[in-house]
Amino acid sequence: MNKYWQIAKVRMQEDTAYSAWYWAGTVSSILRLLVIYYFWQAVYSNRSAIQDIDLETMITYIVVAMLLQGFVGGVGQDLAENIKNGNVAIELMRPYDLIYKMFAVDLGSKLMHLIRGTIPMMLVAFFFMDIPFPGSVEAWLLFIISAGLGLWIGTFFDFLVGVLAFWTVNIWGVRVLKESLVTFFSGALIPISLFPDWLRVITEFLPFQAMVYLPVSIYSGMISGTEAYLAVGLQLFWLISFYVLVRVIWAQAVKQITIFGG
Amino acid sequence: MITVENLQKEYKLVKRDPGLKGAVKSLFHRQYETKKAVKGVDFTIGQGETVGYIGANGAGKSTTIKMLTGILTPSAGKVTVNGLVPYENRQENALSIGAVFGQRTQLFWDIPVRESFNLLKHIYEIPDQEFAETVSMFTEVLNLEPLLGVPVRQLSLGQKMRCELAAAFLHRPKVVYLDEPTIGLDIAVKVRIRKFIKEMNKIWGTTVLLTTHDMQDIEEICDRIIIIDEGRILYDGGLEEIKVQFGQKRVIHFDLPELDSPFILPAPLLGMAEVLPASEGETKVSLSFDHERVKSSFVISEMMNRYDIQDLTIADPKIESIVEELYNRREQGGTYEQVLANS
Amino acid sequence: MRRYAKLYWEFAKNQMKVMMEYRIDFIIGVLSVMLEQFASIFFIKVVFNHIEQINGWSFYEILFIYGIAATGRSIHHIFFDNLWTLGWQYIRPGQLDRLLIRPINPLFHIVADRLHQDGFGQLIIGLIILGTAIPQLDLAWGAVEIALLVVMIISSGMIFVAVNLFFATFSFWMIDSLPVVWAVFNLSDFARYPLTIYHKGIRTFLTWIIPYGFTAFYPAAYFIDKSGFRELALWTPAVALVCCVIAYSFWNRGLRSFASTGS
Repeated sequence: MNKYWQIAKVRMQEDTAYSAWYWAGTVSSILRLLVIYYFWQAVYSNRSAIQDIDLETMITYIVVAMLLQGFVGGVGQDLAENIKNGNVAIELMRPYDLIYKMFAVDLGSKLMHLIRGTIPMMLVAFFFMDIPFPGSVEAWLLFIISAGLGLWIGTFFDFLVGVLAFWTVNIWGVRVLKESLVTFFSGALIPISLFPDWLRVITEFLPFQAMVYLPVSIYSGMISGTEAYLAVGLQLFWLISFYVLVRVIWAQAVKQITIFGG
Repeated sequence: MITVENLQKEYKLVKRDPGLKGAVKSLFHRQYETKKAVKGVDFTIGQGETVGYIGANGAGKSTTIKMLTGILTPSAGKVTVNGLVPYENRQENALSIGAVFGQRTQLFWDIPVRESFNLLKHIYEIPDQEFAETVSMFTEVLNLEPLLGVPVRQLSLGQKMRCELAAAFLHRPKVVYLDEPTIGLDIAVKVRIRKFIKEMNKIWGTTVLLTTHDMQDIEEICDRIIIIDEGRILYDGGLEEIKVQFGQKRVIHFDLPELDSPFILPAPLLGMAEVLPASEGETKVSLSFDHERVKSSFVISEMMNRYDIQDLTIADPKIESIVEELYNRREQGGTYEQVLANS
Repeated sequence: MRRYAKLYWEFAKNQMKVMMEYRIDFIIGVLSVMLEQFASIFFIKVVFNHIEQINGWSFYEILFIYGIAATGRSIHHIFFDNLWTLGWQYIRPGQLDRLLIRPINPLFHIVADRLHQDGFGQLIIGLIILGTAIPQLDLAWGAVEIALLVVMIISSGMIFVAVNLFFATFSFWMIDSLPVVWAVFNLSDFARYPLTIYHKGIRTFLTWIIPYGFTAFYPAAYFIDKSGFRELALWTPAVALVCCVIAYSFWNRGLRSFASTGS
């Protein structure tokens, strides 16, 4: 266990070394907050609610969703690059479980991102955009659990997409494809409850809404009570399913490496 | 052809704090450190000469070549190549030069070699007839036929270097700069490459400036060498001459597995040979001696009389050791002229 | 000029051969970008399912702005994508040296080195959006309007190129200016919506400092009378030209600095 924690810590240090990316990321986040803010102000300029969602709830939803989406990614990119340049074979010889190692690396970057990126951004949103925090301690706790489950599901999914690098060359294209799917169906852009009915039904059967929509709805109070507990249960279901899938597909991939040399 | 007068290059290295903040700060307020890479170099190379340009890593070789090719602007001094000042007429100069820069590829990574050549044809505006002739000649001399249809990224190092070389000579340049063209290659490829360079020099009178750490390259290709160290020329002259002057140190490694007491030099070799610090294990002993004063056979027979020798190897005079020797003499002797006078 | 056109064609032919070699990746690339764009449009659509207009702009008008931005960006994406890689693929590993000893313009060489397949997805979706939006706009479309639209789109593309080139050039002094290029590029998100919804400071910034406003909103505003920006919109090609001149001069400055420091 300690081994993986050390890996995570190294990653945290590495991340602080690339400060140019950090500042660029911070500036971009602020820009996006601005776009979101003005866009929704304009949308609500002569109405008070859209499907029972008022402006404050809407902006809260969108901002929290945006921040949460920053965590939905994972190690897929690293994995894909390692597969492409053949390093994965070397990695497999090392004395650790590669999946756990990659998740430890991911945990390291996410912790760093939380401390340096998300928390300052939350404060900006709280002070300058009047984004409220969840209404109750229960909602806070549920949100934290739900967000944790959501980003874990996202990490697993990202890993699965990364493994695709065994079969495709254009890993960048696959990445964009995945990003678009997640952005769209996770509810990161707009609450899924506003989707047209047919699409909403489809979306409810997909795993993506568990990544962003469910936790953010709990945060903003759009889902509460029993419904919220059910949502967390649904997330658990997806998490377990994905974990099984990751194990099965990874076993296949390892076979591919050891038999065909990657 | 190529004239270089008092060529100097000093880099201003920006001292900078890490990260974006440092970068932004350095845009406005900069602190410099100067590093002199080339400190006043003069030479003239005539059409058709083959010159080895050698020196240790960081001696200023690449910097000089970058200035000759027009990539870098000198801090002081003058360069002309074919009557052009390369850094002022970079693109014009580029038409009549070719280059191979070590491991960096000239070719286009994703496309087959044949297509790479074809693109170069357009870039250098080579006439169709000439291009066809050149390619078929190169294909034969460098044995490129099986490689032409393969994307560059799939070639082995040796295959790639053969193609690189063809690419550098494709437009029949007047001058070719070769920076470590044989590094990391196996003997067969090295031989082929050397043969090719010599042949191009013979047929087209191409001037060749070659940097390498491989003495064999120099011996087979060059009739003149220029040695540079710490940004100054240490030696400029014929290859035979330098070997006579500086290459007479020989080293022989002896393997003495039976040795149980500290090694003592046999009496007849005292004052003639020198024991070099042991490198691997304690059973190996290396002797260095002056080839002019002592014969290798004498050293070996004296050693055999005294010790039980399991194996021995005679090391060639390495260009590095010649450079080092020259460098040592300069340290002791002061100027370059004195070094030559003392030798 | 003719020589460069011919050369470009030679470069492009090879790029296309490579693309065809990896057909699946070509399709993934095109599809991925199309889906990405589609997601954004669908977002607007969902919003408009619940409202009629934003700041006086109807769904199709916003779509029209979006279409110009997407098509303009596709020019950049298809032909100039390599500018992203200036720092880490050319300057840092020393590949720029190799280009400098070729008898052609190094910027041309970098640009011609890559023709980006994924940009075609952007182009297709951009044209689809324009094709959907324009018939709904209730405008008189003649040859002049169409020609003007094409000029506007090309100008929009050139502004994207110029801004990216300008910030990519910082790689001559920084280790890699990619984060900066990326952050600035993200500013173009503002350009998707009518600039009138933003605070005046943002509007001024996107008009006169980093003129992303001219990549979509102003060109679109030219065709829509009520906007009140018709005159400013006519300056779009001039803005594009000025941006290109500034960016190219800055690039040349970077090259000169490279020649004296060798990085």
